[in-house]
Amino acid sequence: MKPAKTLLVAALAALTTFCAQAQSEPGLTDKTIKIGMFGPLSGNSITYGFDVINAAKMYYDKINKEGGVNGRKIELVIEDDRCNANDLLAAVKKLVEQDKVFMLNGGGCSAAVVGAREYIDRMKVPLVMQAASGDGALYPPSRYIFGALSISQYAVGGSMVEFATQNLKAKKIGYINHDDAYGSWNLEAAKFQAKKNGVNLSVESINPTLTDVTAPMLKLRAANPDVLLILTYDRPASLLIKKAHELGFNKPIVIAVNGTSDTKQLAANVGNKDAFKNVYTQGLLADVPGGAKLKWVYDMYKQYYPDLAAQPGHPTTYMPEGVTPAMVIVDALKKIGPDVTREKLADALAHTNLDTGITAGPIVFTPTDHAGQKSAIYMKFDGERETLLPGVYSSSWTYTPSAK
Amino acid sequence: MTLSDIWLFLQQGLLSGLVTGSVYALLAIAIVAIFKTTDVPNFGQGEIFMIAGYVALSLLLIAGWPYAVVIPVTVVVLAVGSALFQRVVMERVTHSKGVGPQLVIATLGLAYMLKGLVRQTGLGDTPRSLPSLVSNDPVIIGDAFLTRLDVAIFVASIVAMGLIYLMFNHTRIGKAMRAVGMNPRAAQIVGIRLSRIRMLVWAMAGVISALAALLITPKILITPDIAHIAILAYAAAIVGGFTSLPGAVLGGLIIGIVENLVGLFISTNAIAVAPFLAILVTLIVRPQGILGGKPQVKKV
Repeated sequence: MKPAKTLLVAALAALTTFCAQAQSEPGLTDKTIKIGMFGPLSGNSITYGFDVINAAKMYYDKINKEGGVNGRKIELVIEDDRCNANDLLAAVKKLVEQDKVFMLNGGGCSAAVVGAREYIDRMKVPLVMQAASGDGALYPPSRYIFGALSISQYAVGGSMVEFATQNLKAKKIGYINHDDAYGSWNLEAAKFQAKKNGVNLSVESINPTLTDVTAPMLKLRAANPDVLLILTYDRPASLLIKKAHELGFNKPIVIAVNGTSDTKQLAANVGNKDAFKNVYTQGLLADVPGGAKLKWVYDMYKQYYPDLAAQPGHPTTYMPEGVTPAMVIVDALKKIGPDVTREKLADALAHTNLDTGITAGPIVFTPTDHAGQKSAIYMKFDGERETLLPGVYSSSWTYTPSAK
Repeated sequence: MTLSDIWLFLQQGLLSGLVTGSVYALLAIAIVAIFKTTDVPNFGQGEIFMIAGYVALSLLLIAGWPYAVVIPVTVVVLAVGSALFQRVVMERVTHSKGVGPQLVIATLGLAYMLKGLVRQTGLGDTPRSLPSLVSNDPVIIGDAFLTRLDVAIFVASIVAMGLIYLMFNHTRIGKAMRAVGMNPRAAQIVGIRLSRIRMLVWAMAGVISALAALLITPKILITPDIAHIAILAYAAAIVGGFTSLPGAVLGGLIIGIVENLVGLFISTNAIAVAPFLAILVTLIVRPQGILGGKPQVKKV
């Protein structure tokens, strides 16, 4: 066989192999790549899904207008999971088995998304979560699941202690969290950070349904901490700030992101501006909502959804959290090149280090840690306005299999 | 923990416990009153309390009505709504030879319906507060610290309990309610209309729930899940005696104090468990409750 002919046969064989490989991967053609998206689009938790998915849609649309990823346009199939574990699993199964998507990008509710872990592992379909922190699905790491692109609960606790130590110069920290899985996760990292920073931690764990917070607040006041960290949900956080003020506790109070979904309502619930004289809030994005660093995201939202943007309550606080995972997915797909498979995508995602400019810190995935974001910013909250403080505070806690 | 801490914790635990306990006591009275006259434990009591909070919240913040109008309107809405539920649902279940479990399921249905209703209003699960009628200025008693709102909650609850006591002992309707509670068949024979009295008892439970919600929601905030407070009222009723109205009051105060003392002296983790522990201890030591009288045996 002549060399030219040999070369042609080899090229044809390579092309055939590539085409066969591309077609053997579900949801993949030469021109398109199908992504299954899911999140709460109805029900009480719609805020964690509706605008988050809108944000992802607008970003993928922008990528498609720019020519797609390695020549492939992104097609989306979207399902409503209602923030419910059963509905979420049904949505994921439909996307994988009926719609035959290449990969998954979704999940706004941590507890619900954890329920799909076993199925996703079995089907070997890469999943990049949206607003969910999903610690329960990330530790121990699964090859195919990536999340906490906003932040993990572990990192929430570690970052809070880091801020109290470095910025507020606390030596003794009061720490109040919930006695549920979230609470145990953030406390584990907080203890690690406190030990690393050489500070003392006084912990009170409460049930999320508690109606009277006198006991925990009085005990924490008696412990005389330099700073009080509140890592509870919205209602207990409001009650604790109110009670702290009533009991004359005037040291700095820092509220974690778990309790600040609506700072305006928080101030209304506390009902006394004086209670906010020394209060700080934690944030996960690179800037305060609507700040200069995030302007492009909010502008893009207004451009894509002018009618929605004109309505009160839109975009929701969580909206930018839909863009970050989409950026991570596009980045990984671009790195792989045209010869893309689910296994290659899982590998590429596991070596992500991307500063999206949206979140407080970069998104870093490694083969042993699939929780992407571990940093937070902090604001001074006076009951009306949040003022950004300089610096980003990161959790140092890392997952060690032997610890589990 | 120093001695002064222990002394402070004791005083604060007792006083704060009395405040929250007085509201548990009010709700326990509503539960016991319905149970005594209908033989049905009302598992929708928490949701009736919760919906009262949302009715007041909607009238105040959305309709913009003043408190002077909101309070009577909320009380009337809850009284009428509760009475209608007894008349339209419970009475029909009873007439169609419904047995106890069916009546209990009906109250559970009411609970789910009310919770679903609130979530359909768009108010969602965001915790909200009723503006307080009384300031949060401090009131120091001994070493302990309360607010004027706390004192107002306690005083108003005690006044409400006093009025309920007077109604049961000094009005014809109250005496008729007691008669139905003691022996419905005998009460019927002497001319008391059971369905009317039961409607009135449900209406009274609605009024009590409205009062409890108006009193405590400025302190504890309101969400659709706040109905869990009824579990504490159930604990109060069981500890005090499920068939005794004074027992319900005593039980409410005990549960409020136990919650605080357990949180202060044992662990804040244990606060949520304390009422259930109190139920278990009561059922083992004195199953009829502290003021439940002699254990009752029903012929079947």
